[in-house]
Amino acid sequence: MASSHSDAARMEQIITEFFAKSLHIILETRSPYASSRNFSGEQIVSSPSSSASSSSSVRPRDKWFNLALRECTETLENLDLWRQSNLEPMIVDVILVKRSLDWDPINLSPNPELAKNLSSKETHTNFWNTDQEELRNEGRSEKIVERWVLQYEVRKMKDGRKGGKRSSSNLLSLLYKKSMLLLRSLYVTVRLLPAYKIFRDLNLTGQICSFSLTHRVSSFAEPFTHREEAEMQRFNFSPIDTTCGRLCLSVSYRSSLSDVNSEGSTPMSPQFIPDYVGSPLADPLKRFPSVPMSRGSPSLPFSRRHSWSFDHYRASPPISYSPSPTYSEPYTPASVPCRFPPPGLQPHPHETSNSQKDNASFDEYYPSPTFSPSQSPSPPFYVPGSHISKALLRSESAPVNIPYRKLHTSSLLKNPNLPPSPPLKGSRRGNYRADKIVPPSHLSITADKLLAVGKDDCNRCTGVKISISRCSSRSFHDDFDDSEFSCPFDVDDDDIIDPGSRPESFDQKGHLREPLEPGGLIPIRKSQGAAVGALVDLLQKAPPLSQEHSQSAVPSQMDYGEAHKTGMEEPDSISKFHTVQGCSSSVASSGYHVSKTTADALEELRAYREMKNLLLSQAGSTQTLASYSTVERMEKDTK
Amino acid sequence: MNCEICQLKELEVEHFEIKEVLRCILHTIIFHRALGLVRPKEIDLEHFEITYVQCGDIEVEKTIDEKIEQFICWVEKHPNKKSQICLSFYEVKNKQASWFTNKIERLYWEQWYVNLNVVQQSKVHSSKSHNSKVTVESGEDSLEDRSVRRTTLEGSLRDVLFQIIRFVNDKKDHVPPIPNREGVISFPYEITIPSSSDSAFGMDMIKRMLQTGHPTMLS
Repeated sequence: MASSHSDAARMEQIITEFFAKSLHIILETRSPYASSRNFSGEQIVSSPSSSASSSSSVRPRDKWFNLALRECTETLENLDLWRQSNLEPMIVDVILVKRSLDWDPINLSPNPELAKNLSSKETHTNFWNTDQEELRNEGRSEKIVERWVLQYEVRKMKDGRKGGKRSSSNLLSLLYKKSMLLLRSLYVTVRLLPAYKIFRDLNLTGQICSFSLTHRVSSFAEPFTHREEAEMQRFNFSPIDTTCGRLCLSVSYRSSLSDVNSEGSTPMSPQFIPDYVGSPLADPLKRFPSVPMSRGSPSLPFSRRHSWSFDHYRASPPISYSPSPTYSEPYTPASVPCRFPPPGLQPHPHETSNSQKDNASFDEYYPSPTFSPSQSPSPPFYVPGSHISKALLRSESAPVNIPYRKLHTSSLLKNPNLPPSPPLKGSRRGNYRADKIVPPSHLSITADKLLAVGKDDCNRCTGVKISISRCSSRSFHDDFDDSEFSCPFDVDDDDIIDPGSRPESFDQKGHLREPLEPGGLIPIRKSQGAAVGALVDLLQKAPPLSQEHSQSAVPSQMDYGEAHKTGMEEPDSISKFHTVQGCSSSVASSGYHVSKTTADALEELRAYREMKNLLLSQAGSTQTLASYSTVERMEKDTK
Repeated sequence: MNCEICQLKELEVEHFEIKEVLRCILHTIIFHRALGLVRPKEIDLEHFEITYVQCGDIEVEKTIDEKIEQFICWVEKHPNKKSQICLSFYEVKNKQASWFTNKIERLYWEQWYVNLNVVQQSKVHSSKSHNSKVTVESGEDSLEDRSVRRTTLEGSLRDVLFQIIRFVNDKKDHVPPIPNREGVISFPYEITIPSSSDSAFGMDMIKRMLQTGHPTMLS
C-alpha cells in the first residue's frame, strides 16, 4: 500500500517533469529572446566530432528523461505558474507578431547574411519592395502559428487497472521510457515545423525585426475558428498510457508561413545592395574582382539561408555589402580628391608620370597590395576599415603637399631624398588659386582645430602622424629630415597609429586642403629635437627671398600678400592673435612658393616661430633654445 | 521479441546529396534510440532547409560517416541502382557456451531501411562516364530544373523524417528496457550497406566475425 502510494507520487512527478520538459523543448526553439544567449553558433559551428555530452556538467534537470537542454528562463517562469495548477492542461500558443514597418531601407542595417542571401536559392528574393509596401499598410498583427496541447487525461475507472498484471514499478519505468521516446521525437519535431524557420531567422539575423515570435502558456485556449482550423495541420504524438490515465501531446500548426518567410528572410532585394555599395566605393572596388566574388561562397551556390550562420561565425566575406559607418567612411576622402583633383593625384612620386586630371585615375593611386588583402581577412568590418584607411593614407600621404614642396623646394634645396618634380606644375597652380578663394575665416577655424588636434596627439604619440589633416607635417619631414624619416612610406610609420583612430581622422575630410597651413606642422612629434633640427635646417637652406617673385606672382595673390603685410607687421605678435591669424598666414606661407615676397616669408617665419614656441613649451630644452635663437636671427635677417 | 521493421520512403538523390541525406536520416533515427543522457546537437543541412538532431556522440558520428563513405564507394561502382541501407538495433544475449566459449547472439528488435535511388546527374562529370550521352544531357540540366528537383527532395526528406517520428511514436512497446549503460547510446546498432551482398563479401565476413567477437566495438 505504501509502495503504491509512493509509486503514484513518483508517477505524478514523472508527469510533472514531462510537462516541464515538453514546455522547455518547445520554448527553447520558439522564444527567440529567452534562448538567444545560448543560441549562438556553438552548435552549428562546433566541429562535428566534438562530443557535446562531455563538455559540461550535468544539471539535475538534465537528468530527467536523459535529455540535457539549454537554459531557458521563459520555461521556468511559465512552469512555476503551471505547477500550481495541479496537472491542468498546458496549452502553448506560439504567436507570430508582425509589426507595422516604418523603417527606411537606407537605415536598415544589413547583416553580412544579406549578402549571402544574394546567392541563396530562394526564388522569392526579388520581391522585397513589394512586400515592404504591403507591410507598411498593415498594422501590428498577431497570428497563432502553432498550438501545442499537452494534457494528462485521467481515466475514470481507476479500479480496473489496480493490481494489474505488471508491477507498478515496471509500469513506471515503462512510462518513463515512453516519455523519453516521446520527448525525443518532440525535440526533432519542433525543429521540423515551419515556425522553427521563423525562430531561426529571428535569432540569426537579429536585427531585422519586422516580425517576432511570442508565446502564451495557459491552461485554456480559445478554440480556433473554422477558418483558422482549415489553415492548420495537426500532428498527434501517440499518447502514453499510465496506470490511471494517459499523457497526450499534440500540435496544430500552420503549414504555410510563406508570407512571413518571404518578407523576413529577404529584407533587401539583391538589386539594392550592389547599388548601394556601388555608389561610394564603386571605383576603388572595381579594381579588385575578388570583392564581388566574395559575396557568396562559390562552393555553395545553393546553400540554404540558414547556413548564413556559418559565415557569420566564420569569416564573413561580404564586407563590401555592409554600408556600416566604419566601412563607408574611409572612402569619403576618395571623393574629395575628385573635387580637387590635381593636388590629390600625387600619392607616390614614381607614379606621377601617370597622373591625370580625371577622377578615374585616382584609382591608379590606390596601392593595391595594401588594399586587396582587406577583402580576405576574417574580422568583417573592422579590419577592412583600417586597411582601407591605411591605403588611403598611403595614397594620400602627401597629395596636397608634397607636390608643392616638390615644385619649389626640391630644386632649391637639392635634398637627395626628394621625389622628382612632377609634371603637373601648371594645373597645380590653377588649383592653388582655387584654394585661395576659401575665405580666411573658414581657414582660421580649421587651423584652430588642427592646433587642438595636434596638441592632443603629441601627448600620446611619438611616431610620425600621418593623417589627412597632418600631411603637411608629413611632407615636411619627407623633405627635410632625412636622417629620422628616411622612409616616409614605411609601413611601420602607419602602424604606430592606433587603427581605431583612423576613421576618426578621416572625419576631417574637409581639412584636406589645410595642410597648407602652418598649423599642420604642429603634430610633428617624432622627436622634438629632430623636428627643431628640421626646422633649423629648412631655415638655413632657405632660398633667397625674391627669387621667384616677378614671374609667379598673380595680382590677386599679391593683393592677398599685401594685405597680410600690412596686417601683420609686428614681429612679436605671437600668442593668441597669431593662432587665430594662423590661417591667413598659412595661406601666405603656401603662397610662398608662388610669390615669395618678403611679407610672405615673414609670415612663414611667424608660422615657424609659432611651432617653435609650441615645441618650446613642451620640451624647453637647451637645444630648442638654441634653435630659437637661430630663428630669431633669421627673422632679423629677413627684415 | 519481435523485430519491428520500418521501410522508409524512397528518396531520389543526386550523388552529391547522398552524404547529407543519409546523415540526416541515420542520425535522426539514432537520436530517437539514444536513451542515455543526451546533449542534442542540431545540424542544419547545407542543401535543404532542414534541421536535424544528432545525439552528440563522437563514435556514432564516426561510424555513420564511415558507412556513408563506404556506401558512396559502392554507388560509384554500381551506378543507376536502387540501394538500401539498413540500420538495425539489437540486443546481445549471452548464450550458454556450447560449441565456442563466448558465444554471442544478436537479437534484432528494430530495423530501419533507408531507400535511396541515386540518380546520375551531376556526378557523371567527375566519374569515368561510361555513358557520354548522359554527360551531355546533364550538362544541359537547367538551373530551374535543379531547384525544382531540390525542392521536391527537400519535401520528401521532410516526409521521411516525419515517418521516423511517427514510427517512433506508434511503436514503443518493442523497445527493450533501457540497459544500465554508460554513455549516450543505449542499444547496440549496426549499419549495413549493399556491399555486404556484393563484391566486398569477404571483407564483410571478416568484419562481421570481428564484430561478433566484440559486440561493443560496433561496426
